[in-house]
Order: sequence, then structure tokens, then C-alpha cells
Amino acid sequence: MSDFLLTQVINYGAPLFGLILFLGALGFPIGASAVLIAAGAFSQQGILKWLPTAALGLLGAVIGDALSFSIGYYAKDWVDNRFGKSKAWKNAEEAFDARAGMAIYLTRFLITALAIPTNLIAGGSGIRFRRFMTYDTLGEFTWIVLYGGLGYWFGSQWELVSTFMSNFGGLLLGVVILGAGIWLAARRLRSEPSQELLPKS
Amino acid sequence: MSPAKQRLAITVLILLGVLFVGFFGLRAARAARHIRDGGYGPGNPPPPPSETDVELIRDWMTIPYIARTYGVPDRMLFKELRIPDEGNREKSLKELNDEYFPEQTGFVLDEVKKAIDDHRPPAPPTAPAP
Repeated sequence: MSDFLLTQVINYGAPLFGLILFLGALGFPIGASAVLIAAGAFSQQGILKWLPTAALGLLGAVIGDALSFSIGYYAKDWVDNRFGKSKAWKNAEEAFDARAGMAIYLTRFLITALAIPTNLIAGGSGIRFRRFMTYDTLGEFTWIVLYGGLGYWFGSQWELVSTFMSNFGGLLLGVVILGAGIWLAARRLRSEPSQELLPKS
Repeated sequence: MSPAKQRLAITVLILLGVLFVGFFGLRAARAARHIRDGGYGPGNPPPPPSETDVELIRDWMTIPYIARTYGVPDRMLFKELRIPDEGNREKSLKELNDEYFPEQTGFVLDEVKKAIDDHRPPAPPTAPAP
């Protein structure tokens, strides 16, 4: 898929690049990060103009995120009916609300595999759209500058940095999953002795 | 959530996390080594805008893109491949290969690399040692 898209980006330029980032933000597995790094390299080679490419890319990514946020927003009633009475779900919602800004910002460029779930959760959690868009735009801007800049810096060797970034993203996702597991285990260990000490009724 | 389910969720999370960290950590380290071996890093100048290493040519690239990146005339590449440029400028090397040389896998890619190498001016003679 990525190879086909790279050929088309060469042929059709910034508008198609914007469309790819839009589809990527909606959750289509099209390797948007790799295409972004390649677009940086194409800018360095003079194939694309960096300013309209970055602007259309940012626009596409932000609109895609807004749409996936709205999917979460309109699915809220269904989710509330299904899980709303669960204490665990309420706790998760509260935990997300407290760190929503950071979660939205970091998942745009650091742990991109969690971007779509974050959009859906944010839409369903009652976070204001304006707040979401502020962090989202900042995060997508960072993503485009960071990944596009690396592609620009590495030029025709962009595949090296693309491989590194995709694996680094997987590594960070692993750290997050492992951290969540350790945190839950520690919480459980803390709560278990206190339950044993409670008088039996 | 029952305690048994909690235990299971925690175990799955920790195992999955360790698996991800190990797998992607090793791959990221290998990729970082490649980057370092390539001589890139803070303080090093970016690569020149005109590429010379033909091993970086991939089959998703188009002839005009390769011509521009390697500083060679695109007509020369079409001529070497013995295919018309009209209607083929937006096709990738793989598409050209599938269309014109379906029996020879990788033929177009190899021919393009060879044509660029042949077109390159000879290296200037080195001065004799005193």
C-alpha cells in the first residue's frame, strides 16, 4: 500500500498527501507516518513544496481527527448504555479526563498507534471539542514538523529513519502497555492486604 | 471485574508489554545502528540534493522522479528501456515492468540503475603521489 501511495504522492503532490493524512487520521492503515517522512525527503529533493505540503497535511490530519472525535461523540449514548454503570468505566473516564490534554498531544506523534482510540474515547468522554482541537492541532503540528523534518534531513536515505521511527513507536507502545500492567498490579497489591484487614461482616 | 479476571488482564498486559518492548526495542536498536553507520547524526551535514547511490532506487519510483533526483535526462532513461515516455511518466518502475517486461522480474529497476551508472561522468583522475 505504501509503495503505491508514494508513487501517487510523487505524481499528484500536496493535495494527495493531505488526503493520505486525512485517511490515516480516520484509522485507515496506510502508513501515514512513513508517507510523511517520505514527503519531507521529497521536499528536500524539490519534488514537493514544503509549505503547502505541510499545510495540507496538517489540515487533512486535523479534519480526520475531528471526524473520529465526532464518531466517539455520537457513540457516547451507546457506550453509556453498555458500560456507563460500570465502576471501572467511570474510573477510566475520570482518569482520562484528568490527563486528556497530554494524552491527545502525545498520541499524535509519540504513540501514534493509540491516536484513534484516544480520539474515540475523547469524543465519548465529554471533553469539549475546542479543547480537543487545541491539543490535537498542536500534536499534529509537532508530528509534521518532527517526522517531515527528519525526512527532509535524511533526504533520499529517508527509509532508514522511517524504519527507526516505526519501531521506536512500537517500543513506546510496549512501554505504555507494560507500565499500565505494572501500575494495575501495584494497585491490586496495595488494595489486597487492606481488604484482608477489614472485619468480616 | 472479578479478581481472577483482573489477574488475567494484568498478566496479559505485562506479557504483551514485555513482548513489544523486546521485539520493537531490538528492531529500533538495529535501525539506529544503521543510521549511525551511515554517518548521520547531529552536526553532520544533510545529504546532497542530487543523489548518486543507485542502490537507493526503488520500484515505486517513477522515471521523471528518478531523473530529477539523480540529475539525468528522463528521455535517456525511457530510451534505454526502449519504451515511450508518453503515458508512462506517472507509472512506477514496477508498473512499467509488469506492463512491458512481465517475464523478467526486476528488469526495469536493474536497467535504470545501469543506465544511470553508465551516464555518470568518469571520476577525475587522482594526482600521482609525489
